[in-house]
Amino acid sequence: MTGIYKNLRKDFLVEFRNRSAVNISFAFAVITTMSISLVAGGTSFEPHIHAILIWMIIFFSGMNGLAHTFIREEDEKNALFLRLAYSPEDIFISKLLFNIIFFTGIISVICPLYLFFLQARPLIPQLFIATAFSGGLAIASITTILGAMVSKAGGKGSLFTVLSFPLILPVMWVSITNTALSIEGAESADYRNVLFLIAFSGIIACISYLLFRYIWVE
Amino acid sequence: MKIHRLVYILMPLVIYMSFLWAPSAAILGDASRIIYYHVPVAWVAVIAFIVAGVESIIIIIKNDEQSLMREERAYNTTLIGLVFTILALVTGAIWANLSWGSYWNWDPRQISIVILLLIYIAYFSLNSALEGNESKGKISSVYLILAMVVMPLFVFIIPRVYDSLHPDTIINADKKMHLEEAMKITLFTSMGAFTLLYIYIYNIMNRISAVKIKIREKRHAL
Amino acid sequence: MIKIGADSVTKRFGEHLLFRNLAFSAESGESFYITGANGSGKSTLLQILAGIQRPYSGHVTWEKNNVTIIPDDYLKYSGFTGPQVNPYEMLTALENIEFVSGPDVDLHNVNELLERFGIYKERNRQVKFFSSGMKQRLRIINAIINDPPVIFLDEPGSNLDVEGKAILYSFIENLKPGKIIFIATNEPDEIKLCSRGIVLDDRYL
Repeated sequence: MTGIYKNLRKDFLVEFRNRSAVNISFAFAVITTMSISLVAGGTSFEPHIHAILIWMIIFFSGMNGLAHTFIREEDEKNALFLRLAYSPEDIFISKLLFNIIFFTGIISVICPLYLFFLQARPLIPQLFIATAFSGGLAIASITTILGAMVSKAGGKGSLFTVLSFPLILPVMWVSITNTALSIEGAESADYRNVLFLIAFSGIIACISYLLFRYIWVE
Repeated sequence: MKIHRLVYILMPLVIYMSFLWAPSAAILGDASRIIYYHVPVAWVAVIAFIVAGVESIIIIIKNDEQSLMREERAYNTTLIGLVFTILALVTGAIWANLSWGSYWNWDPRQISIVILLLIYIAYFSLNSALEGNESKGKISSVYLILAMVVMPLFVFIIPRVYDSLHPDTIINADKKMHLEEAMKITLFTSMGAFTLLYIYIYNIMNRISAVKIKIREKRHAL
Repeated sequence: MIKIGADSVTKRFGEHLLFRNLAFSAESGESFYITGANGSGKSTLLQILAGIQRPYSGHVTWEKNNVTIIPDDYLKYSGFTGPQVNPYEMLTALENIEFVSGPDVDLHNVNELLERFGIYKERNRQVKFFSSGMKQRLRIINAIINDPPVIFLDEPGSNLDVEGKAILYSFIENLKPGKIIFIATNEPDEIKLCSRGIVLDDRYL
């Protein structure tokens, strides 16, 4: 427990003192949202289009920032230092929690901004919020283990996006559908998909937890 | 255990059966014969994928001198899987065009085969990016295991949540196949033949890998 | 009482052979040097002994009071430092030490070591502002803060000035009783600190 806490604290300190990394991720999210709203210029979209746009922004913001937590350890040459100090299990959980917290933050910025500027009002706000966070949870879960793999592979450019996309697509699909339903307030909208996303996250997190040491340890 | 050699007999038999022996289907006519190639090829793509996943699990659990050979085997089966996925996609598109008028229909089944293709391609990207890394085999194995877990979740949501133009697959237990006897026999024989073909190719590739590894070991011993 | 043994240890990176069939052992109270030309595999051998890397073939065995320890636990009994072990630049020296400290360490121990190695005044500065010599002193502190029974030092004297080296060598002398110390180095003074060792040369190729 302390190991996880100490690692989380360390990651937050390191990321926030090096403000550029965090700033860039949030700036990217804001700028993309703003660009789309400016380009849309007041056209009203169908709920489905809104859902797609929101999740595209969320996806690319994630691709931008979620691998960073592992890639930074390799780039800054702290990986061995970290490896010596803590067990793979502690390290993995702390990185996973960090990604979840970070991505929740990103989504909390993107959604209100998007809804405000594109004047979309979800008729079932609770479902909208639940879908946004559970989808984000699922994406954060997958990308943590993939980020670890990519960091060991040199962490160059688009390898992370290439690896993530096929595995995140089911999450996106479900999230987009549910988000669209929540915006248009359809009767068939329910929380089944949200439960699915949470269950999915749990399964991925468990398997990643078990397999992480084979990536991290020689 | 040279059972895969049976493919020498079975495949020509299947070709004969599919083109000449089985009757034409009611609506599609001779074009329906593509089923005898599309279904088995898709089946092999999935089998290859599962074998890759199982091999990867063994690599992770048992870390010994055999690991190198197992990693080669996982790579080989994934390569075969990739080729057969492309074949499934192509034959599927041809059939789609014959049945519904266009090659691509945003059909969930078609999309899920594309996803499978992307997962395979991503595996090869990961593999080459890890070239020279000691943990290459283990990291690639973790990816395959993860993919193997995600894929079925995906394949089973799709039919349940979304309507599909795709005819119900054999995997659905309650679905009865509306095929005549002769067509059923041809189809199953074809599936058997293609499975044997998979084993045959896999076997050859593994033997080449084994030789490669032996050569490397001999060279290192000098 | 800990005993570490290497048996037929061979390491290669792809086609390149680093060393072959190394065999030796060390136990508590001994200090062991590893030396050799640049690129001969000193750091790699040190990491193999510490369980950080695995040999291509052969075994490393650790025994504590004649009970074998599993490789996953090696790091619980050892401290390791080397040029590739870098503390976090964005954290202060104190924060880095606290990060690696176990529950038995209190602030008093930490301050003592900081004083001893002459970086007490800079303890609240971020490591990114440290000189390479100061970073090296911090590295050494990180390796020994938990008072491990086994210590691995990879080029511990690098970047240290005369005073720094003096502090380091006297500290190692004090550590020797009851601990196993491995030093990978090319410095004659550091080799002299050890009772015996191994030279990675053509004999092992």
